[in-house]
Amino acid sequence: MALLHIAEPGQSPLPHQVKRAVGIDLGTTNSLVATVRGGRSAVLPDESGEVMLPSVVNYTHAGTPLVGAGALALAAQHPADTLMSVKRFMGRGSKDALSDAQRSHYRLAAGDEGLVRFITGSGELSPVEVSADILRILRQRAVATLGGEIDGAVITVPAYFDEAQRQATKDAATLAGLRVLRLLNEPTAAAVAYGLDSSEQGVIAVYDLGGGTFDISILRLHKGVFEVLATGGDTALGGDDLDAALADWVLQQSGAPVLAAGQYRQLQAAARAAKERLSTELAVAVDLTGVLPSGGSIRVTRETFESLVRPLVKRTLRSCRRCLRDAQLEAGIDNIVMVGGSTRIPLVREAVAEFFQRAPLIDIDPDQVVALGAAIQADILVGNRPEGDLLLLDVIPLSLGIETMGGLVEKIVPRNTTIPVSRAQEFTTFKDGQTALALHIVQGEREMVSDCRSLAHFELRGIPPMVAGAARIRVTFQVDADGLLNVAAREEITGAQASVTVKPSFGLSDDQITSMLQASFSHAVEDKLARQLAEQRLAAWQLLEGLKSALAADGDALLNVEERGVIAAQMTGLQALLDGTDADAIRLQTERLGRQSETFATRRMDRSIREALAGVALDALDDEVMQ
Amino acid sequence: MSLPDFQRNYFQLFDLPVDYALDLVQLGTRYRQLQRELHPDRYAGASAHEQRLAVQYSALINEAYATLRKPLPRALYLLELAGMSRENIAGQQIDGGFLMAQMELREKLESMEGLIAPESVLDHLVTEISEDITVLQRQFSQAYSVGDLSPAASTCVKMQYLDKLLQEAEQIESRLLDR
Repeated sequence: MALLHIAEPGQSPLPHQVKRAVGIDLGTTNSLVATVRGGRSAVLPDESGEVMLPSVVNYTHAGTPLVGAGALALAAQHPADTLMSVKRFMGRGSKDALSDAQRSHYRLAAGDEGLVRFITGSGELSPVEVSADILRILRQRAVATLGGEIDGAVITVPAYFDEAQRQATKDAATLAGLRVLRLLNEPTAAAVAYGLDSSEQGVIAVYDLGGGTFDISILRLHKGVFEVLATGGDTALGGDDLDAALADWVLQQSGAPVLAAGQYRQLQAAARAAKERLSTELAVAVDLTGVLPSGGSIRVTRETFESLVRPLVKRTLRSCRRCLRDAQLEAGIDNIVMVGGSTRIPLVREAVAEFFQRAPLIDIDPDQVVALGAAIQADILVGNRPEGDLLLLDVIPLSLGIETMGGLVEKIVPRNTTIPVSRAQEFTTFKDGQTALALHIVQGEREMVSDCRSLAHFELRGIPPMVAGAARIRVTFQVDADGLLNVAAREEITGAQASVTVKPSFGLSDDQITSMLQASFSHAVEDKLARQLAEQRLAAWQLLEGLKSALAADGDALLNVEERGVIAAQMTGLQALLDGTDADAIRLQTERLGRQSETFATRRMDRSIREALAGVALDALDDEVMQ
Repeated sequence: MSLPDFQRNYFQLFDLPVDYALDLVQLGTRYRQLQRELHPDRYAGASAHEQRLAVQYSALINEAYATLRKPLPRALYLLELAGMSRENIAGQQIDGGFLMAQMELREKLESMEGLIAPESVLDHLVTEISEDITVLQRQFSQAYSVGDLSPAASTCVKMQYLDKLLQEAEQIESRLLDR
């Protein structure tokens, strides 16, 4: 007699197959990729041992973008073709990006639909396409190191990124051929990197001064659950600004006239190098040979540098104060996590320590900590840790609302609301016989629509003519775990409906992405059909495996014989198709099986709730014992 | 697709008694426990249908937690469960004395930005409003526990007034910090 296989409920009895998952920190100045191997998170170096990839792309020669240090070396020679800090332009309209572009000496195309497009030697490019070129290099690095295609990636974004900026980041990853498991807020990722081997409970502040953005988040860690309490920051303040402050001062001291684009780039690079050295030295000389016509060098003391950047550091503390208030803590902060290269500056560390009355944690390299945390989350989401030892509960950084009469904003989801969230609000018509209602969705904290970020416009039609105020229009905002928004409107009396997935007008449309993807695939060696077949097989395999373990665990309890028979028959059908090569047939049968098993899935979820509550009694007891 | 069908109210969802007095530690523990099971991250490899369901369940749990965690939304929710409509609550009679005190507080707030050292005055005002809210919470608790819904509702309306004042005070505070 064969021995029985005994598996834990919900776990597949099959040998566990480790999937390739990566965390990517797509930074303003540098980007990194990390993965979990042998239980430890580690950043992946390139062939020459470098882990940081400068987020710089050169497009002087059409067809072959040069990414990283090689591109950086061309920055002075080809300033307009060498795109740096493109993260600052992600998801932004060309109007509000203009001053940044001028400072960086980029040429912007007279964009359609307010879209930012850079004019380069390789034609016009959007920030999304440039970011995709950076991500593609990191993906190649990961594929080469891990020995196969990546199953999924977690991409980090500043917590303060709005809807448009998040969508643009996701689009860039898709364009680079990555399957995005989740967009993760950078401070949350940093807390995860620290959280796993530090104390089990407590309140953590994450101070993240990156290349182009500043973020502050306050989280509570409780037995592996990270609850973001509040988040805030400044999307236009970062290490770049510190460099610029020093560069401007040097320029003023030298008495040199206005510089050409390439010279300013060199000056900025010299300023950055000086800034980095001033973290360990008390005075440095900025060598201006080849940077300014006059040449020579200018001495900068740490004291001078500190006086130049102090106002910027103060600005970060203002955001910290607001965030602390939003978090409504009963007690103080237990730990401060430092993120971003600029947190190496002694003045920054001192200011943060003084503000929070506690020395910040600096054990993990502040340039790597975000990627390391993202890799841990990717490892969990891809399914490499079936018991999932941690959970992140994040918030939306900016309030979501709708335009009402007189250009005012009615907030529907306030900032710092935990996601996912679904909120509904009722509106009505203001004219007799009104049959359509235009909805304008905005994001921001201000009272006037004109001061907030416009996200989307859409229209609900087919409202039956009624007297003003009689119609009941229910608008539902749903924000998913990536922080992306879906809005639906419904007239309650007639059931007229309209909905949009918010795609900001300056992002890319799905069609644009599809055509770009097709273009990039046609260059690739791999056969598109083979790829489709592989993808369909993978999707089918995942569904079958999931169902097998679900049936083993709950099939008897939640399904009657007839229901179970139907599912089993459809599973056998799909299994048989997997041996063939008909991608369409596999897709159709996968969809059919998916629909057939929906009821089962719903019952399992309900049961999970009951079980979660049953488990609570013991858990609460633990708490009492610990207190 | 089917929507999450919760016949249970928010209290039952967390397996807690329907009452204004609430064990917040227990609420937090149960909230985290439920999210551990139902958060979309737990269904990253599941079918699209399960993922959608997880988003809806998880959103509902977040909503329930946000409602019960804070005194004012919890009080309003209790009145709703007891059968009072929003219009009914908003239409409660408020005594003239309270309204007068309100207007005075508001005037003080509005004159704040003209002061030389507004921070301590503002602090004092915020403390005063918070203490008033605490008194109202106690009044609500008493009225609700003996089933006097109408007086309970009118304390809720008063709490809403004061809550709004607190929010305005916070906005003024952040403007002061920025200048």
